[in-house]
Amino acid sequence: MTAPAARFRFSPPVLVVVLASIVALLAWRLATPYLAVPTVDGYDVRRMVLHYSLLPRAVTALVCGAALSLSGALFQQILRNPMASPTTLGISAGANLALVVATLYLPALLAAGRDAVALAGSAASAALVIGLGARRGFSPFSLVLSGLVVSLWCGALAAIFTLLNDRYLVSLFIWGAGSLAQQGWDIPLSLPWKVGLLAALAGLVVRPLSLLELGDESASGLGVRLAHLRLASVSIAVALAAIVTSAVGVVGFIGLVAPILARLAGARKTLAVLVWSSLIGATLLLLTDTAVQLLAGQFSDFLPTGAVTAVFGSPLMLILLGRLKLRQRTLPRAAAGKWLAFSGRKALPVLVVAVPFVLLMALCVGRGIDGGWAFLGDIATTEVLGLRAMRILAALSAGVMLAVAGVILQRMTGNEMASPEVLGVSAGATMGVTIAIFTIAAPGLFLQFGAAALGALVVLAIIFAFAMRAGLAPERILLAGIALSAMVDAVVGVLNASGDPRALLVLRWMSGSTYAIDPVTAAAAGIAAILTLAAVLLLRRWLDLLPLGAPQSMALGLSPFRARIVLFCVAGLMSGIATLCVGPLSFVGLMAPHIAREAGFTRARPQTLAAAFIGGTFMVLADWIGRTIIFPYQIPAGLISALIGAPFLMMLLRRKA
Amino acid sequence: MCCPIPISTHRSPMCGDRSFLTRRHLLASTFVAGLLPGAFGRAQAQTAPMRIISLDYGLSSTLLGLGVTPLAISDRADWGRWVREPELPAEVVDLGSSLEVNRELLAALTPDLILTTPYLDGISDRVAAYGRLLRLSVYAPENGAILEAAVRATRTLAANVGREAEAERFLERSDAFFEDCRARIARKAPPPMAFVNFLDARHARIYGPPGLFDNVLARIGVENAWKEPSNYWGFQTISIEELSRIQDPKTHLVAFDPIPGDVLPKLARSPLWQALPFAQGKQFHVLPPALMFGMVNEGMRFARLLTTLVETRL
Repeated sequence: MTAPAARFRFSPPVLVVVLASIVALLAWRLATPYLAVPTVDGYDVRRMVLHYSLLPRAVTALVCGAALSLSGALFQQILRNPMASPTTLGISAGANLALVVATLYLPALLAAGRDAVALAGSAASAALVIGLGARRGFSPFSLVLSGLVVSLWCGALAAIFTLLNDRYLVSLFIWGAGSLAQQGWDIPLSLPWKVGLLAALAGLVVRPLSLLELGDESASGLGVRLAHLRLASVSIAVALAAIVTSAVGVVGFIGLVAPILARLAGARKTLAVLVWSSLIGATLLLLTDTAVQLLAGQFSDFLPTGAVTAVFGSPLMLILLGRLKLRQRTLPRAAAGKWLAFSGRKALPVLVVAVPFVLLMALCVGRGIDGGWAFLGDIATTEVLGLRAMRILAALSAGVMLAVAGVILQRMTGNEMASPEVLGVSAGATMGVTIAIFTIAAPGLFLQFGAAALGALVVLAIIFAFAMRAGLAPERILLAGIALSAMVDAVVGVLNASGDPRALLVLRWMSGSTYAIDPVTAAAAGIAAILTLAAVLLLRRWLDLLPLGAPQSMALGLSPFRARIVLFCVAGLMSGIATLCVGPLSFVGLMAPHIAREAGFTRARPQTLAAAFIGGTFMVLADWIGRTIIFPYQIPAGLISALIGAPFLMMLLRRKA
Repeated sequence: MCCPIPISTHRSPMCGDRSFLTRRHLLASTFVAGLLPGAFGRAQAQTAPMRIISLDYGLSSTLLGLGVTPLAISDRADWGRWVREPELPAEVVDLGSSLEVNRELLAALTPDLILTTPYLDGISDRVAAYGRLLRLSVYAPENGAILEAAVRATRTLAANVGREAEAERFLERSDAFFEDCRARIARKAPPPMAFVNFLDARHARIYGPPGLFDNVLARIGVENAWKEPSNYWGFQTISIEELSRIQDPKTHLVAFDPIPGDVLPKLARSPLWQALPFAQGKQFHVLPPALMFGMVNEGMRFARLLTTLVETRL
């Protein structure tokens, strides 16, 4: 990140002054009406609004901006990763999820301490993301990829918990989207001392942090204890993000943008980066918030600031991507562990028994009109069995395609967090549906599917255009994809917070239900699954060779460039079709390849087949649970699979560490 | 207390209804007993009254208002939380969420008529396979004032279930009821009032034109203090300080239950909230839940709650 700085004449103070003067201009416009002499007798609430809403809100924005940016700068310095921030590492989202779960299910915990709950959530996601990253030598890509996956997962889960609990009131959405609105000085008075305390602690690690710039070894030589330093800095950064989330919700991407601006403006030394990041972040968030207030006034509509910063901040990831150096890595072979104590041969019979069993259960076991469980039973007319079969077929096909797309992406990138969910295709489909729902008065199902397919294609095209320029480096493509996902997420967040009931439709769609499947779609998905699976099996040689690295595969007569294009196309197609059936966030594509490999299926063909079986069966099981467990209400299959799958996957990855 | 609200009078089933209920009951129990092949159910349905399924609270309560008990409705589990009245007969089957109506149940219940709204267009293709679809549009951008749209929808619904006479009587009753509320409220000459649902301690939904509440307010002669146009569902999301845009200090503020637990204590600590003249003491009121996205019945419930409030607290 040092090279482009030369082009800027700015110094950090100039940047802060420029930002601050824009803020002052906007703030003046915002505040003028409140400074006027009251015209109504005995009702001087304007002065009150100024004193107890506008001013505390401004202070809150300043403090939150500073805290998040300091947190981001700390992350970036200690992890030496220009894309690290509370948002991109999933820290804010973890805090948010913890708070949502506590609000809905354990309100007593919140009374005990909101900050503590937020801290627990963000610490958990930090431990997870950084733990995963540590095993890959803190590669910027891996770290941010895991972080954004965790972030999306937490965000989706928080939204869906809310959805399941409250159809009409959307308080948690607003708060998840980061509104800075204030009606008193409670928050702006309690935040600064907490942030100040943490900033003082950060001051203590500045010196060792700057020694770190000499390189790990020189720093150790000078007496820096690396492990301690990492733990201390990361803890401070996590705590900063957690208390902000606990106070105002998730404010996206400020913590990423501000440190980058500070460095672009010429801040070099650690202390300078930390200080100027905080100042720039503070003014930047205030600027955004003031602009949002002016805009919201214009449209008489509600705009949550945190989601707005995310809408503008996430594209920055795409720009950053082009500037990062990256190394091509190969698949870690050591990972083929014996955790399950299976060889592929022994695992096979398990699969052969489990698959038909699950399929039969999903078809025959259901609940009747009175809600009682039944094998077949009164309700199971041919029509109902047909309905179930349709959903089973769709879930099965989607699971198979996601799993195989996951195998392709993981083998191609050598990244264990690679999966169709992060390819951005799903995000494109979601965006397509969102646009359709909000622009067309009453889009039918067919139109929604069309819009989803179109959205997926557009994103695929964008990612390809981008990837061609970047030389088709797989990790860049994934990161570009997930940056787009984050943006879509932010847009959906804004819509949700506005409270428009149509946002519920989008959420429903995102949560991944096989509910809307019709026979044609199910059959089409089935055929697509068979065809793409066959295609992948034909291409298995590429999948065996690519993980060896580009030079080796070229020596063996494979053009990595062409192979990658073809494989990306296949993976994109598979995840696009699957998304139409089970939504964008099932995590099956992430999980199934891992389980297959753990079970001893390491070569391309066995891994593909085993992953397909596992993914398909898992999805069918998730769909069945979703259909029956709170009958007659239904939980989307995608959500169930994410709920079960993500923790399981984390366990798996931890075991290997 | 205010007058017995019409909903409770017209709910007493007539003879025809009673036999219908019994037959339907019997039919349902045959389902449960597992005796039922689909054909038997269909043969019964031809002689029995229409087997109607409603996927919208407003339409469900309107059906009850017409003296028809729906076979099943969506989101039954939350009826008591939002709609409350009229009380739902115990035998009405829960179909699950309206956005994902349980299709297995739909297939087993073999309805003659399924009532939907534009909001549910996303699933109407799926649902259409199980019975004739009747799409009644109340909450849609082109409809304008909700109460009028609800009256139109009530008549259309009645025509489709052969209850035109009941519908006219129902609408007359509701008219008379609104008129009565208007007269009682006029005696009190109430100040302008604003109506909110608190989302959290910092945000609320406020109800304005062209929503149901706003229409009812106009009908019963209470001035809505919030004049800014809202979305076509009739609400606008605001942060609390925006309440200060209400100019008249004599305004009264009404919040509906459910109010999240921490809201009132937190607001009590907010100087801004304290400074709003209508945020406390005699100018701040809490009403039981009322469905903001309903039809005529829900409008009447709102009117009754408000009239009682005006008569007892002002």
